[in-house]
Formats: sequence, C-alpha cells, structure tokens
Amino acid sequence: MALAQPVLTKRIPTPPFGNMADRKTVSYEQFVASDGYKGLHRALSMTPKEVVDLVKASELRGRGGAGFPAGLKWSFLPPEDGKRRFLAVNADESEPGTFKDRMLIDFDPHVLLEGIAICMHACRLDTAYIYIRGEYHHQREVLEHALKEAYEHKIFGDGSMLGKINELSPNCYIHRGAGAYICGEETGLLESLEGKRGWPRIKPPFPAVAGAFGRPTIINNVETLAMVGPIVLNGADWFKGMGKGRAEGVPASVPASFGPKLFGISGHVNRPGVYEENLGIKMSELIERLGGGMRNGKKFKAAVPGGISMGVLSTDQYDAELDFDIGKKYACLGLGTAGVIVMDEETDMVAVARNVARFFSHESCGQCTPCREGSSWIYKVLSRIERGDGTTRDLDMLLELSGSMGAMPGTTICGLADGTNWAVRTIVNKFWGEFESRVKKERYVSLAVAGTR
Amino acid sequence: MAWITKNSGSATVARRDEPYLTDEMKAKAEREILPRFPTKQAATIPLLHEIQHAYNWIPMQAIEELAAYLELSASQVLDTATFYEEFFLEPRGEYTVWVCRSISCELMGQDKILRAAQDKLGIEPGQTTPDGKFTLMHVECLGSCGTAPCALVGEKLHECLTPESFAKILDETK
Ligand SMILES: Cc1cc2nc3c(=O)[nH]c(=O)nc-3n(C[C@H](O)[C@H](O)[C@H](O)COP(=O)(O)O)c2cc1C
Ligand code: SF4
Ligand code: FES
Repeated sequence: MALAQPVLTKRIPTPPFGNMADRKTVSYEQFVASDGYKGLHRALSMTPKEVVDLVKASELRGRGGAGFPAGLKWSFLPPEDGKRRFLAVNADESEPGTFKDRMLIDFDPHVLLEGIAICMHACRLDTAYIYIRGEYHHQREVLEHALKEAYEHKIFGDGSMLGKINELSPNCYIHRGAGAYICGEETGLLESLEGKRGWPRIKPPFPAVAGAFGRPTIINNVETLAMVGPIVLNGADWFKGMGKGRAEGVPASVPASFGPKLFGISGHVNRPGVYEENLGIKMSELIERLGGGMRNGKKFKAAVPGGISMGVLSTDQYDAELDFDIGKKYACLGLGTAGVIVMDEETDMVAVARNVARFFSHESCGQCTPCREGSSWIYKVLSRIERGDGTTRDLDMLLELSGSMGAMPGTTICGLADGTNWAVRTIVNKFWGEFESRVKKERYVSLAVAGTR
Repeated sequence: MAWITKNSGSATVARRDEPYLTDEMKAKAEREILPRFPTKQAATIPLLHEIQHAYNWIPMQAIEELAAYLELSASQVLDTATFYEEFFLEPRGEYTVWVCRSISCELMGQDKILRAAQDKLGIEPGQTTPDGKFTLMHVECLGSCGTAPCALVGEKLHECLTPESFAKILDETK
C-alpha cells in the first residue's frame, strides 16, 4: 500500500505529493510553522527514560545500513555518572548508490537538528558532533546556517531549552571528514573524530559503553535521527501504522519493518531521485511508479537493493519487497541504506563487479589481511576477466576469495569485508552464465597431479 | 588506498622562516575549534583543513608546526594527514576536479566524462596542468548518484554531466 502522507518529505516536495523542482531549504521559521520542534517540546515534557521507551516502542530501526533498533541502542547506555557523554551523527554517506542524507540536509536541516536535540535529552548526551563527509560542501554550509538559527532559538548552547546535561550546556558541532568511506563505519568515525586515521575498532567495547574519547557515545544515521521528532510528536502507534510491519507468527522480540523509509533510485530509470515510501514496497513498484520506469524502454536486468555492499538482486527478483527481511528472502546482505541502483539489459555485469571490487579495494582501511589482500586480488581477477584473459578457474577463485572475506566471524574488524563478499559473490552467482561466457574454458591440471618437475 | 605508506625516513623537509600555522589560525583554533573537544588531538583534522584551505596543500613543515601546537609527535599528525584523500601533501592545481567513478556514475557514462576532462586538460587522473590551474582526480561515490554522472570542481558539484557540458564547465572555471 502506498504511503498516505509524506513524513520525512513533508517539507521536501517529492512525487507523488509534490514536485522536485519546488524544493527549497526550509528555514527555522518555516520549520516551526509546519509542526517543527513540536516533537522536541513534547520530549522535554517527558522524562528522558519515557522518551527512550517511546522510541523503543516505535521499533524504529537504524537507517544507516545495519538496521539496529534505535531505542534499544539508546537503552544500552550505562547509568549517568555525571561525566561527559557524546552523540556522533553519521552524515558520512559514502556508500555508492546512497544520497538520501544529502537530500534531508539540503532541504530540511532542522528535522535533523530536532532529532539530535531529542536524542541528547533522552540519552543525557552533552555534546553532539555531526560527522559530515568532506565532499558535502553545500550541505555543510546549509547545516552551519541551520545550526546558527538553532543556537539563536536556544535549542543548543548556553541557556538551551534542554537545560544542563552532565552539568554542561548542550552543544552541537559540525565535524568535517576528509574523504574516506571507512569513516562511515561507526568506530572508524570515532577514531577520525579523535583526530586519528579512521581505523575501525575491535568491538566490544561497544561505543555505547566506551566510544568517543573513551566515553559512552551514541552513533546514529541522519535519517534515523530525523525520524525521531515525528515519532515523539505522533506516537509509536502512528509510526507502526506505516510500513510492512511484523509478519504473522513472528515473535515481538524479532525486529520488524515499521514506518516509511527514504529510497534512493539511481541508474537506468527515467526519474532518479530520493523518494519516501512504506518499507516493504515492491522494487518493481518503486521503479515504475516513482522512478518513472526503465530508461529508453529497456528491460530490467539487475538492481542493488541498498548500497553496493548489499549485493544484487537478479532479473527474476524484480518484485522483491524492500524491507529489512530482504536479505533472507532474496539472498542478499540486507536492505542497507535503501539506495537502489537499477541496471538495464545492456549492463555488463562483469564490469559492474569490477567497479564494485575496485571500490572496496580502494576503500579498505588495510588493518585486516583478508579484506586488504582479498579485495585487491578480487579486483585484479575481475579486471582480467573483463579484458578477456580470464579462465574458468578464475571464477572459482572469485567465489572462494570473496567467501573468505568477512563471512567467518572474527577474521575482520568491520563490515567492509562482508560487504565486498556479498557484493562480489551475489553478482557472480546470480549472473554465472554471463561470467562463464567471458572466460576461456581451459582445463587446469593441478601441480599435485602434474608433479612439480 | 589509505594504507599505502611511503618511506619518509630519508625525506628532506623544505623549510621557510615564516610559520605556516599563523597566529590567526591559532587564535581561531582557540576560539572555535579546541573548545569543542576533550582532547587536543581531535583538532587535528579541523586544523589540517584550515591549513589546506590557506595554502591549497599541506607542507611537511606545517605538519611539524601543527604537531608541536597540539602537543603531538609529527608522525601522529602525518599518520592522520596521509590517511585521508582530501589532504594533499604535495602542491596541486588551483582547482581540483574530482570525477566520480563509482557504480551509478559508471552506469551513466562517467568514462565519457572523464575522457572529456582528459582531452580538455591534457592530463591523466593524478596529474596537474602545466599552468597549475587544474588537478584531475578520480573519486569514489560523491553521494549524488541520482544525478549521475557527476564531478566536483573545487567545492562546486556539477550534476547530470555530458562530455559537452563538462568541457564547458571547465572552460568557464576561472
Ligand atoms: C564500511 C561501513 C561503512 C558505513 N558507512 C556508513 C555511512 O556512510 N553512513 C551511515 O549512517 N552508516 C554507515 N555505516 C553503518 C554504521 O557503522 C552504523 O551502523 C550506523 O551509522 C548506525 O546508525 P543507525 O543505527 O542509525 O543506522 C557503515 C558501516 C560500515 C561497515
Ligand atoms: S574489514 Fe577491511 S575496512 Fe574493516 S577494519 Fe578490516 S581492513 Fe579495515
Ligand atoms: S556513484 Fe557517482 S555519485 Fe554516487
């Protein structure tokens, strides 16, 4: 069922409710005039614990890729000890195919700031850092301006309506990254925030216990936080009335797919862009109704469900339902960021795999051997196949190599290796025929058989 | 590839008398940057951005000055500076042209965009034009996949590029 009313795109004209050409940055006054900061005022009339419980009850899941329940994450914080605690807002958005946080910041920056303020109140966090990727120059300026407005209206700073938190005036700062995908990984982000190279940390300890500067830290994605204001204002049941919900017979302890979600569509469609829809929308519907259908009348061939780390959906998975259960049902890693990349019948899947492998080998931070060596090896093998110099054995090697990256728990520190594995393996597996037709069918006699001479 | 390291043991550092980290920068750091963080080291990236903004690159002497200022070792600051692709430890052109090469842009024809830039500027990615005006770079996803192919010229994003529109943009960049 289509989304009845826009939520995050309430002030950002988006089809079918509005025209993208009418998008403008919403000022503080305009935001307040359309229910903005009402959620914050409501939150401030509640105790911090009540706010956490409300977000927990809404079953809002993280929109940054992993889908971890936000309220649950917030409740992992240790009891207050009067010392500092931080919020790190993940605005690093570097996963290829993902450009939703950019849209939120571009046009409705206050919806993020409201979510930040609510989270700081609920979790007793005195300082928020918005870690924004270095290349988002315009977005940084928009945020700086909005933040200035928020300080003027006492959302943050001395005399803030949040009062004192950990005996400090609550502050929110923009922290500019400098071009590294890995700083989107939450502990890589923290290292970078501390002024170091963005090397992900071994967990545990989890950031909620020991994060930035060794203190309890909450890390949430821009879209996750932006959803908090509307939830606090309208209640958990309102939020749970949207989206796919929980399938029958599934226990309440299993996270489900509630609420609307921003979907990015890029690639071979007529009207690429960011749209808001219920979780669970069929990809075919997303492409046809919102994305304006396939470009140039071509046929659908493949799509990435949510950022390339998630792998691909094959031609016969066109009707896949885009919700948090997508991984189990359609043999991919998950919904990820819901940045859908659409490919038409003329797309060369070997080239796609090569591009994706190059991305991961370029962005691997180099700490873990399977990730650092595996990704560049995979890239080399795929380049070879693309040039026409590959052999059948290379295909087996691709699957073996990718299967050894990240799939075995404990062999790599962060999820980048797993992303490489899923991306490469699903492309090769789901388009095996295409890969096979590109390699020479040489028979290999192993050294064990031939002797080493 | 952030983990490629260079042998810096035998490198000589070009020096000048005038410091790169000026008193104004320090004043700004004390006013706006240092108070944000519980540690001095956390000011490393913001200050590297300040330095690069002022000189368009980050000389080794500036890294040493920054390290002294933040009470770190020079190697700590160098370690951070070399990890991030936006930091240039060698002089570069007045405008850096970053052409996105990730998947959505490749699907939408970034090869032609890059070709157009190479033809126009007469250089390969990683190089600077002889007049010092442009440095051409590859970059991974710019987070603007819906308007692919795209490229940054300096701090400005250009979207839905065609070889013709991109050549024109480069012509008009002054
Ligand atoms: C390699 C890698 C890159 C990531 N990049 C991002 C990113 O750019 N933005 C983001 O919000 N989350 C990113 N994540 C997910 C974060 O680690 C983290 O789960 C998320 O920010 C938590 O926020 P959420 O619970 O609100 O989704 C990345 C994860 C990995 C493993
Ligand atoms: S898995 Fe890869 S990116 Fe992640 S910490 Fe290890 S080497 Fe770095
Ligand atoms: S792939 Fe080029 S902007 Fe995302």
